[in-house]
Amino acid sequence: MRLKFKWIYTLLIALSMQLAFAQEKTVTGVVSDVTGPIPGANVIVKGTKKSVQTDFNGSYSIKAKVGEVLQFSFIGMNSSSVTVGASNTINVKMKSDSQDLDEVVVVGYGTQKKRDVNGAISKIGGDKIKNIPVQSFDQSLSGAASGVNASSPNGVLGNQAVIRIRGVNSINLSSYPLIVIDGVPSWNGDNLNQSNAANNPLSDINQADIESVEVLKDASSAAIYGSRAAAGVILITTKKGKLGKVSINFDSSVSFTSAYNLIPLLNANEFTEIKNEGLANFGTPANGTTRGFYTMKDANGNLVDTNWYDYAYRTGVAFNHNLSISGATENTKYFLSAGQLEQEGMFINNDFRRQTGRFTLDQKVNSWINIGGTFSYTNAKTNGLNTGSANGAAFAASGAARLAFVQAPNVGPFNNDGTYNLRGNQIGYGNNLTALQYVNAKYLTDTNTFIAQNDHIISNFYIGLKIAKGLNFKSLYGIDNLIIENKDFLGPLQGDGFTDKGTASNTMNRYTRKSIQNILDYNLTLAEKNNFSALLGTERQYSKTDAWGATRKTVSDPFFNEYQGGYSTIVPAGNLLIENYLESYFGRVNYDYDKKYYFSINGRRDGYSAFAPGNKWGNFYGGSLGWTVSEEDFFKNSAIGNVLNQFKLRASYGLVGNNQGIASYASSSFFNAGLNGTNPTLFYAQAGNKNLTWETSKKTDFGLNFGLFNDRITGELGYYKNNIDGLILSVPQASSTGIPDSSILANVGSMSNTGYELTLNAKVLSNGDFKWNTSFNISTQKNRVLSLDANDSDIITATALENTSITRVNESIGNFYIVKTGGVNPANGRRIFYYRDGTAVQYDHASPVASRWTKVSDGSVTRAANQAADAVVLGPALPKYYGGFSNTFMYKGFDLNVSLYFSGGNYVYNGTKAGLHDQRVWNNSADVLNRWRNPGDVTDIPKIVFGDNISNGSSMPISDNLEKGDFVKVRNIAFGYSLPKSLLDRVQLSNLRFYLSVQNAFTFTNYSGFDPEISTNGNSNGSPSVDRNSAPIARTFSFGLNLSL
Amino acid sequence: MKKIYLLLIASIAISSCTDTDALSPVNQTRISDVTAFETPDRALQQVLGMYGGVKTGQFYGGRYFNYQDVRGEEFNNDRSNGVTNLFTWNFGLQSSTNEVNNLWYAGYLAINRCNVVIAGLEGAPIPASLKVQYKAEASFLRALSYYSMLTLYARPYWDGNGSKPGIPLRLKPETNSGSSDLARASVAAVYDQIIIDLDYAEANLQLTNANAYDNTTRAHKNTAIALKTRVYLSMNKYDKVIAEANKIVTMSAPFSSITGVSNKLAPTIGAVFATPALTTENMFSFAYSPTDIPGTQNSLVSYYNPTVGTGEYSLLPTGILSNAGWKSTDARKALNVVNSGKTYLNKWTKNASDPDFVAVIRYAEVLLNLSEAIVRDNKTVDARAIQLLNAVRGRSDATTIFTAASFATFQDLLNQIAIERRIELLGEGFRSPDIMRLAQNFPAKGGAPSVATTDSQYIWPIPLNELLYNKLCLPND
Repeated sequence: MRLKFKWIYTLLIALSMQLAFAQEKTVTGVVSDVTGPIPGANVIVKGTKKSVQTDFNGSYSIKAKVGEVLQFSFIGMNSSSVTVGASNTINVKMKSDSQDLDEVVVVGYGTQKKRDVNGAISKIGGDKIKNIPVQSFDQSLSGAASGVNASSPNGVLGNQAVIRIRGVNSINLSSYPLIVIDGVPSWNGDNLNQSNAANNPLSDINQADIESVEVLKDASSAAIYGSRAAAGVILITTKKGKLGKVSINFDSSVSFTSAYNLIPLLNANEFTEIKNEGLANFGTPANGTTRGFYTMKDANGNLVDTNWYDYAYRTGVAFNHNLSISGATENTKYFLSAGQLEQEGMFINNDFRRQTGRFTLDQKVNSWINIGGTFSYTNAKTNGLNTGSANGAAFAASGAARLAFVQAPNVGPFNNDGTYNLRGNQIGYGNNLTALQYVNAKYLTDTNTFIAQNDHIISNFYIGLKIAKGLNFKSLYGIDNLIIENKDFLGPLQGDGFTDKGTASNTMNRYTRKSIQNILDYNLTLAEKNNFSALLGTERQYSKTDAWGATRKTVSDPFFNEYQGGYSTIVPAGNLLIENYLESYFGRVNYDYDKKYYFSINGRRDGYSAFAPGNKWGNFYGGSLGWTVSEEDFFKNSAIGNVLNQFKLRASYGLVGNNQGIASYASSSFFNAGLNGTNPTLFYAQAGNKNLTWETSKKTDFGLNFGLFNDRITGELGYYKNNIDGLILSVPQASSTGIPDSSILANVGSMSNTGYELTLNAKVLSNGDFKWNTSFNISTQKNRVLSLDANDSDIITATALENTSITRVNESIGNFYIVKTGGVNPANGRRIFYYRDGTAVQYDHASPVASRWTKVSDGSVTRAANQAADAVVLGPALPKYYGGFSNTFMYKGFDLNVSLYFSGGNYVYNGTKAGLHDQRVWNNSADVLNRWRNPGDVTDIPKIVFGDNISNGSSMPISDNLEKGDFVKVRNIAFGYSLPKSLLDRVQLSNLRFYLSVQNAFTFTNYSGFDPEISTNGNSNGSPSVDRNSAPIARTFSFGLNLSL
Repeated sequence: MKKIYLLLIASIAISSCTDTDALSPVNQTRISDVTAFETPDRALQQVLGMYGGVKTGQFYGGRYFNYQDVRGEEFNNDRSNGVTNLFTWNFGLQSSTNEVNNLWYAGYLAINRCNVVIAGLEGAPIPASLKVQYKAEASFLRALSYYSMLTLYARPYWDGNGSKPGIPLRLKPETNSGSSDLARASVAAVYDQIIIDLDYAEANLQLTNANAYDNTTRAHKNTAIALKTRVYLSMNKYDKVIAEANKIVTMSAPFSSITGVSNKLAPTIGAVFATPALTTENMFSFAYSPTDIPGTQNSLVSYYNPTVGTGEYSLLPTGILSNAGWKSTDARKALNVVNSGKTYLNKWTKNASDPDFVAVIRYAEVLLNLSEAIVRDNKTVDARAIQLLNAVRGRSDATTIFTAASFATFQDLLNQIAIERRIELLGEGFRSPDIMRLAQNFPAKGGAPSVATTDSQYIWPIPLNELLYNKLCLPND
């Protein structure tokens, strides 16, 4: 930065000297790049309003005085400036900005020039995510960079994106990357103690405030974060003021969100027919007195035919406004912003309101002191609801997503008199004689509230001291304080509040984090070509969670729905008090010779409080080597050097750790306090392990960066291998040991992730009015579990009530553990199951219990197929590849961007389908109409037998519900128009752009569920790619404007 | 000079960050294992914590009773909900089914708590006599837990005289890894241990506890004896049942215990279930409070009560409800309630947020155990057995008085005792063990099949979570 100041200084002095005797003259010239002349480039006389554009031949003509500076600019090119001298001709050769040697990349505890970066770092500019109509920046990262897989688990507001950097990097701890905002590690949804409505603290960050997102993927870049780097690090840098005139930006948009790809269901008549057919096939036909399904008429005599989707989903409207003012003088940089987001989700009663304010100031006090800091405050309020889409909630009886497709369509939400249609804790049966099972979703959405209010302060303050030439010291104190107030009310008449007759729970959750960092860095250039930089630092991080609250039960009057109303009893709720410390020492040395040969090494020593004495400290390191071949003379002068203008080889290796997600007192054994009636008790509650220590990840990375045709095509090819050791697993203990949770944590497992990454950027067309830039990335991942506990015991991971997934040695993590099935036997309409030995058996729910299972071969009675005896490991559940493909087209003022996100090579367990085909009183998807009815029918829907929950996969997962997860999603289409400069100048605006965009426009897939991207178990490592009763994905249309002054 | 100052400041800033104490924060909300038995109060709390283990929602807080009852013929599953024991009701259990795994886990968690406490008490600063009493309480609860699990996961004692596989027998505290593998002890071996524990409990428990609350909610001598009558009955060792029962049942009516707590029938059946449910008939119950509840979908009230609870199970008209001898004037009929045309058991009525105590051992059961054992032992229409039967019947239905003339054969008397058990102990977890100890088939009931003694579903499968991690544990086939 200082360099720039000097340069400007010199310039200013030069200008003032020449001003006195300057005379205006006409300067002409041609603006071009390697490919030829550039039409439409801007030529401005700096400090004046004089400007012209180049013509089709790239020529321009402008009046200027000697000593004035001409600025040449063009999209995708580096701006360049030339001072007018004696000559009347100034020809300019512009260079593509991707080759910008001064582009800065944020790295751990500092910045580096992009060309000097030796590690695997992906940078995503803030402009790429600013206008994407999502709640939180993490959701806008999908497809944006290689090695970073970010997917949306569902369309519920507040759900955090699932982010995996170079594969799943832990089994039991977190595989969620460390998120560092302006140097301070931030809270994210993965480490909150929230059991209610989804709440993603990352959505407290205003996307418009983000300058850049850097993803540290390999050890050489991430090891400086030592024990927290195994799953990668995401650095968020917020905007600062930039030298130049005051910049004011205003962004505003309106969006419309709705669920898409909803699966068609049976209507009232079809439901009635199918269920009665089931009763008849079971041998207990509808009899008009005690049994059977019957439609009903409403008060107007119309058939009651309820589409329960209508009571779950809506088109939500969102308004987003952001205003910022920023600027800088030589000594002061400032950035001030405010944002307001009012967002309705696709679910009825799912709303989000966020107000953000941010102020950043950097002040140079004198020649050796600078001081600065950032203060940001967010107030966010989420109106949530129980959608059954949070991890562990797939079978929630009140889950709105499931209620919408299982509830009988031949009854409605209201009685004819306008009251709710209720019967006990179920919906009223209408004319049905057979009991219905589920609650009235309309009552729940009207009555139950889940409100979360976040007050989130992220702030830091630093002092920088210039001690000597090249030697700087910086001390930073940062906080991330998040207060979440949760207020839940559950109505007494139905649903989760029914048993306790109406409850109100209020909890306060205070998440406090402090980080103190002291960093000394030194830069030295010897003999012009030897560039050293070194960094030495300490960091101490303190985190505390302090949560408390209460639940009041048995509401005294239907009027009350606030905690302060009338209730009979009160019990404690949501109590948690934990704290942990991390103490660290770290250092880094970078060296390069003549920008050709690079060497870097970094190390960190971390002490963490959760581990027992003796195991608290761990050492982590990383190093890299790089060779910029294209800087070598022999290369430059070779034929290939003309085409391949940039070529760098790099390799890195290191050891990093993981403690993310480990409980604060994990190594200790504890007795918990409880109650026996009203008397206090103590009981054995945690079997600790004093030997517990860090998980480690040895990361190897090879890569090459290249630029072709003077960077018209640039790219990066990489290979990575993460060898993860000492995985902290809940080592399963036989239940009969009586050890709490049947498990003890221990560092036992190992796992590897390997893959290739390719990134390609190209300026397909860059001349003329029409421009086309394209960017493509693809990553592969292969996970292999190498060892588990001493017995290599399988780890079965449940999706709430159902065991769906298994982690087994030599398999990919979280593969499916499923009983193989072979469709429907055309002879008798029964589902065919396979024993593990391959024997084909079939199930008939209509037979007497003892003879329901028969062999397909001879019809003889046999044992029931079951998961314990017959399940096999199928997969992979993790995508084999994923990536993004983005194309930007520009024509004059128009711009169009189409971004694709794709993923595939894996399977998705469509458990939702098991529910949609369940033959209890649940409604079914419309495809059950295609059920087996007569011998010879070839169909995938078995004979309908009432009560049958086995044939379709409800009682155990079956492979007929396992589907390929390949998809290509048109993640975002944005079409914009920027008003021409000539027009803007007249109203003194520097930019005004209108845009239309669609988020999640289309999905191309053969997957039959809502969406193959759905992840019921969210960020859970051991059970990916399960779609069980989760909400669909949202599609959002937006219209907005970006205005700059 | 300025620069030297700066370096000094910097180095101080760096070094001031070193504070190794901070790396060992103390957990403010849990007690470390190192100090868990450090005071007499903690020792007592540990003892009460064992009760807390047995009475969780997954075990005696409700589910265990429900499992045992809905296997029988009295109840209809109204909700087809797999979470609330549909597969237990219709005999569709697999080793992976939740209740199979959850009960096993809850049972052994309770057992291990007992074992941890027995070991931990050694170092507790309390008098030796108190130590022994606490250990006796631990033995009692361990015996209750083993017995309860044995009745579901293992073949009845009569099958091979206890030679069939029982369940793993764990008597030492488990606090570390490496102990997963343990073969199943035989049914007889587990029963032997239960008797050893109960004999120890009888010998070392107090004659009476401090007050009525403790006499019901904590074990005393009579409690251990009463449980032994149940255990011996399950082993078909009727002479032992008689011997044990006679310790706490007088030879003739009105029956009561002459030693220890003066246990006897409460004047009305209503008093046994009405708050505070601390009559001397309530020999052993688990206590609850608004801050100590069994949890959603666990409590008895949520299973059976259609208005306060969710009414998961109604009484089948074909079950004991159809018994002509169970008169409408019988006070026990008042413990049922009709709702939307269905009859529901209404023994537990308190709101789930302030639940009823769960009565585990009642004096009425002891009388019926004794009555049955006498008849099975001497195979006659025994006068005392009839007296015992009348004591239970007469309390609720004074108009029915059985005499020797009521029964042509001793088998008829046994049948009547069985009916009395079904009426008196309805919903209290006896039906399945009663069917199984007598080698009967489970009768079919609306939508659920009959299950023969030879059927694999006659007993529960060994849970998947045990089979996966205990390599020596064999499944039930």
